[in-house]
Amino acid sequence: MSADSNPAASPSPCQDIQGDGRWMTLHNRFVSDSKGKEPDVLFVGDSLVQLLHEFEVWRKLFSPLHALNFGVSGDATQHVLWRLINGELDYISPKVVVVWVGTNNHGNTPEQICGGIMAIVSVIHQKLPHAHTLVLGLLPRGKSPNPLRERNASVNALVQAEVASLSHVSFLDVDPGFIHSDGSILHQDMYDYLHLTQQAYQKVCQPLYERIKSLLDKQAP
Amino acid sequence: MSTEENPAAEPAPVIDVQGDGRWMSQHNRFVQECKDAEPDVLFVGDSMVQLMQQYEVWREVFSPLHALNFGIGGDTTCNVLWRLQNGELENIRPRVVVLWVGTNNHEHTADQVAGGILAIAKLVLSRLPKSKMIVLGLLPRGEFPNPLREKNAAVNNLLRASLPQLGPVQFIDVGGSFVHSDGAISSRDMFDFLHLTASAYRTISMTLHELLLQMLEEMPQERRALLV
Repeated sequence: MSADSNPAASPSPCQDIQGDGRWMTLHNRFVSDSKGKEPDVLFVGDSLVQLLHEFEVWRKLFSPLHALNFGVSGDATQHVLWRLINGELDYISPKVVVVWVGTNNHGNTPEQICGGIMAIVSVIHQKLPHAHTLVLGLLPRGKSPNPLRERNASVNALVQAEVASLSHVSFLDVDPGFIHSDGSILHQDMYDYLHLTQQAYQKVCQPLYERIKSLLDKQAP
Repeated sequence: MSTEENPAAEPAPVIDVQGDGRWMSQHNRFVQECKDAEPDVLFVGDSMVQLMQQYEVWREVFSPLHALNFGIGGDTTCNVLWRLQNGELENIRPRVVVLWVGTNNHEHTADQVAGGILAIAKLVLSRLPKSKMIVLGLLPRGEFPNPLREKNAAVNNLLRASLPQLGPVQFIDVGGSFVHSDGAISSRDMFDFLHLTASAYRTISMTLHELLLQMLEEMPQERRALLV
């Protein structure tokens, strides 16, 4: 599917309809922040990435890995794509880029969302040919079974298949089992049935940390 | 401004356009919590309220006061009004209700937003005649001066003038320390120039906690038997 026919793979900035220009401010800040830094790991994506930075787990696990966080709440694949094409990768050479985006792509099909994620993977590879990209699976959402859970699971299956043949990309399913036997997700894990509590981030981040560490170790000169 | 002409004072649930019904799930959970819990303090509002519960400060400062948190990200005054009219004030007798909402009312003018907040305060005071309220002012937002900061400040000025007339309502503006002399807000206080970091929540929580303790101490504790 070409970028023209896939809105999820067509880079677009977020329009400021609220009136305080926060999206562009954040993007500009990421670009300028990156000029002084030499991160080994870059996290990029939506609120699940952005909020991770605000909890203790970031300081404990990821700061020591020299990680930068370019998460923006509400971002869909086309927004992350725009940001990466427009400066956020220009001044840094991380060894590992963690991509976590897609759950906000409302109105797109799983194929389109997968296409958007693969477009991001492709841009990262063009700009950072030596980096390894780690794509995280979309988490289930909503208190009870619903179409978005199915959509996210389909995206994950499609992405996992696409990256299987690529040596510079891998897929990691970070869902520790949020869905209980009765099909419910607990508010102790997702306080609004989408965003993670600190306890849920702990469960997600330990295996993520292990995988990043092993990727960094492989890349060590 | 009467309720009939103020859209910000019209109760309205959030319609599920995304497909996972999360708003209603959260509302239903809060209604159930009203049946199970006996809070002394009830926090209600938008993400400014909701996010507070995710940081350590909630467990350290507000849980010990037997506080419940009925914040939902994205909520406007209309949404909070609807929730409070549809079960979130049933079966509970909090001694203090803390209200923080208004920054998401993008379709409404400052006058309308203030009117919406007043409507919520009136509802709470009429349903819980023995309770007091704390209304928090809207925080400045955006990295640099912008129209939303002016709007939020205008809402605060209107609230400052009109809330005291309602009765046992205290208005507090905790936004003062966030705007620096150059007009900028730091991402160390608001990680996305709207939502507070853990350290910013700590700062505002001290003021809020002090005020809550004062209010709770002023009121004789109702014996539980009398509430049945």
